[in-house]
Amino acid sequence: MTAADRIDAYLDTLEEWLHGLYHGMIEHPSFEKIEKEAEDTADVFMFACFADAFGIPSPISYYTAELLPYLSEEFVQWERRMWDRESLIERKGQQYHF
Amino acid sequence: MNKFVFFGGKGGVGKTTVSSAYGLKCARDGLRTLLVSTDPAHSTSDVFDQQFDDDPTAVEGHENLWAMELDPEEEVERHMREIKGSMTDQVSPAIVNEIDRQIELAHRTPGAYEAALFDRFIDVMRESDDYDRVVFDTSPTGGTLRLLALPEFLESWIERLTAKRKESVDLFEKAAIGDEEARERLRDDPIIRRLTERKENFEFAGRTLREDAVFYLVLNPDELSIEESHRAVTDLTDAGLTIGGLVVNKVAPAPDDDETGKGATYLRERHRTERARLDRIREEFDQPVLAVVEQRVSEIKGSLLDEVTAELDIDVEASPAGP
Repeated sequence: MTAADRIDAYLDTLEEWLHGLYHGMIEHPSFEKIEKEAEDTADVFMFACFADAFGIPSPISYYTAELLPYLSEEFVQWERRMWDRESLIERKGQQYHF
Repeated sequence: MNKFVFFGGKGGVGKTTVSSAYGLKCARDGLRTLLVSTDPAHSTSDVFDQQFDDDPTAVEGHENLWAMELDPEEEVERHMREIKGSMTDQVSPAIVNEIDRQIELAHRTPGAYEAALFDRFIDVMRESDDYDRVVFDTSPTGGTLRLLALPEFLESWIERLTAKRKESVDLFEKAAIGDEEARERLRDDPIIRRLTERKENFEFAGRTLREDAVFYLVLNPDELSIEESHRAVTDLTDAGLTIGGLVVNKVAPAPDDDETGKGATYLRERHRTERARLDRIREEFDQPVLAVVEQRVSEIKGSLLDEVTAELDIDVEASPAGP
């Protein structure tokens, strides 16, 4: 193995590490943040559609029931999340990796 | 000329009689008329001595007259079956039960009945090309008014839902920058498509009710019925709907002057208070009293219906002067 090859290999590793560091510190948390925000918005949407699943009468649930075939997976997950969620701080705090 | 005519009022004031008579009058004037009963306790069948169902049926013995009785119960069932049907194609069997429960729940709420009735209203209005006039005999005031206020209310609700959905789908797309496939996409999102369809439906209903429909209130000469009609007038006007006028039904007839028995005295007294109330109605309401129909002793059907039809002074061709 020549010196040039060794330098190349070294640079490759360095680049991978740097990219990893960048991804872990900058890129990934921001994706995650947007995704969390998207999930929260989706939750609000689900709640507006199916408030009656939690005993709140909703005049629109007759119509939103039509959406259930398309939302089935989400609906079940959402229902579980809503029952389980402990607090807003717990949820919002998940983005910080201590 | 308003194509859709609604008769509303408190329970038991005789909406069915008046709307049947009005329908008959329209039919006799040569208009192809459809009489639609939306009262859960259907009595058009009794008036015409003929059983009607959810499809328009020609009324025997009368030309140009068809009748139907809406059955929201059946519509709720149908709606539920349809959703469950489309679910079996899309949903994995593991969670079908959980979803099933939610669907059942949504169809057992009191609102479901109204929503189903409302859907049928819209269907009838959409498919009314064959008729010149559609007469709705509505259920008692409260229910009907809520029903007619629905389009605007539901429209704005659906609008908000659509906005939320777009926001979340947009965020999901943003979160998937790079090579990841977004979990949801704005283009061809079935949810937004469904919601938009619904919204258009409500818009159609709202437009038709505001522009192409007129409401007549049926009331009796008694305090409760007058009070309720006042509220109805306010609600209908607030909803931007046109009120054509009032029909006072079940007014006690005056006895002949030479009658002096106990019954005649009662009737004379009663006739007097009702006259006073009738004057009050004429004074208090901005809407004209279009007809005063006397109380009949027996059930109104057959030739009695003809008499009422003759008494009914609603101009068939009349287009009301506006709200």
